[in-house]
Amino acid sequence: MSELQNTIRSFIFENFLFDAEDDALENDTSFLEKGIIDSTGVLELVEWIEETFEITIEDDELIPENLDSIDLIAEFVGRKQHELA
Amino acid sequence: MLLQDYLINSSQRHPHKDALFFGGRSVDYHTLAGAAHSIAQWILQFKPTAGFRVGILTDDPLEYSAGYFGILMAGGVVVGLNTQTSDRSLLYTLDDSGANFLIAGKKFLPYIKRIAPSLQAVKAVAVTDGAAPARQGKILWENLTTLLGEPPSGETIPPYRSCCDLAQIIYTSGTTGKPKGVMLRHANLIANTESILQYLHITASDRIMAVLPFFYSYGNSILLTHVAAGASLVVNQNFIYPNVILDQMVEYEVTGFSGVPSTFAILLNRSAIDNYSFPKLRYLTQAGAAMSPALARRLGKVFPGAEIFIMYGQTEASARLAYLSPGDLGTKPGSIGKAIPGVELLLLDKEGKKVAPGEIGEIVARGDNIMSGYWNREEETRKVLRPEGLWTGDLARKDEDGYLYIVSRKSDIIKSGSHRIGPKEIEDVLMEHPAIHEAAVVGDADELLGETIRGCIVLQDGVEINTREIIKHCRKRLPAYKVPHRIEIMDNLPKTATGKIRKADLRLPN
Repeated sequence: MSELQNTIRSFIFENFLFDAEDDALENDTSFLEKGIIDSTGVLELVEWIEETFEITIEDDELIPENLDSIDLIAEFVGRKQHELA
Repeated sequence: MLLQDYLINSSQRHPHKDALFFGGRSVDYHTLAGAAHSIAQWILQFKPTAGFRVGILTDDPLEYSAGYFGILMAGGVVVGLNTQTSDRSLLYTLDDSGANFLIAGKKFLPYIKRIAPSLQAVKAVAVTDGAAPARQGKILWENLTTLLGEPPSGETIPPYRSCCDLAQIIYTSGTTGKPKGVMLRHANLIANTESILQYLHITASDRIMAVLPFFYSYGNSILLTHVAAGASLVVNQNFIYPNVILDQMVEYEVTGFSGVPSTFAILLNRSAIDNYSFPKLRYLTQAGAAMSPALARRLGKVFPGAEIFIMYGQTEASARLAYLSPGDLGTKPGSIGKAIPGVELLLLDKEGKKVAPGEIGEIVARGDNIMSGYWNREEETRKVLRPEGLWTGDLARKDEDGYLYIVSRKSDIIKSGSHRIGPKEIEDVLMEHPAIHEAAVVGDADELLGETIRGCIVLQDGVEINTREIIKHCRKRLPAYKVPHRIEIMDNLPKTATGKIRKADLRLPN
């Protein structure tokens, strides 16, 4: 598991899956399907990603294809950082 | 006429018309009615006694709507359960309503299994995919997917019910305790449905984008009006990614969209709405609060050609009490309009006398849509259902043309997103934490959600604690939408001379 995935995983567990066992969520599990994050949660998540990884998420990037699992977030953040570099 | 006749009539008039679009699927009226008959037949085999209640706990639109009308066809009372739940909330609602049967989505099976040994009245559960055992303890399990997928075996012979019989119990948060069940008769819901159909002019050619959950009264009225009209519902109740909703609005060429203030705030501020156009959209509705002129202007820009209806209501009134017609939005900004057809709204003082024009009074409502009371709560029913009508708890004034303006709520209810949240339940959970001496919960104004929840706490002497620990404590015990967004540790809480907490002093100035 990459450092990026680990960082995202820790945030998700700390904020949305309090005290859950580590196997409660795979990195490719859909947050929508599991009902892990609600609309407020997504706003919190977006704010955290922007602050932590120093990127700006545009309104049209707020889609499940970018944010709906640990893997998807990691890929999305990776792409955004690459664009900046 | 009973509520289920809406579905039966629409399935006869337009059997192959799409009733539901969701998750890439479509379900026509014939299929929906068949699924409802199957549910009815499953329930009727248990020969339940009149007045029996059935819970629905699912976020699948077909399971919910087939369950809803199936329960009514079997002569039962629908109890739509909030899908954002916790073990504690679910157990409370099922026990309080005394539900004998439950229709549930697979996702909720872990909750049901955990609370099953404590459930008092539930005899049988139908759950998606047959993911459950045939029998667990005293509960019988049924495969909901099979029930919905197979045609009903013959005709359903429903037990006799009249329009004065109870059709539904909707749980709503109160300020003083746990959620209360609002009892609605067939006649109440039919009166409200007919009235809404009249002023929104919904027809079989309409398609609504349904983002609000059906288990709340606003979403419930959207389901009923559209089924009554033989219209289509494009359902996506995960209002998590607004761009997905906008894509669906374009794809399905929706003609209507209903939301609460936060729905529109999120669409305008957190989506790519400026990149879209909606040529077929003919109306928007907003309930939950009046609309500011600035917001109305912005909505007018992104939805040109769509009429905006502002609506006001309460679960206790089957949903709707008043509306402001689109033509009045510009001239009566901040108003909730006038009573809907069939409803009378009075402004009364504490003694029950009409207030003078321009003065503030409590809105008291009369009409066939008013509930018959709170389930098993006679005292609380007596407080609001009085000889004058339903005392809404909302204070308002009327202008010289008879338009109503809400001034304030008498209660401490917090409105966050599409939820109405009673602070007492959260305060009780906070007080269960050993570090907390006193707690009070208030709403803070929020641009997107309407209000966010702030827990104000005083710690026990000598105790130190991280506020995250307190939020974690709440997360474990409350559904997510009731968890405080912020915890504020205070030296003491402001109080009156008699020791009552002065919540007004805890609220932040707007």
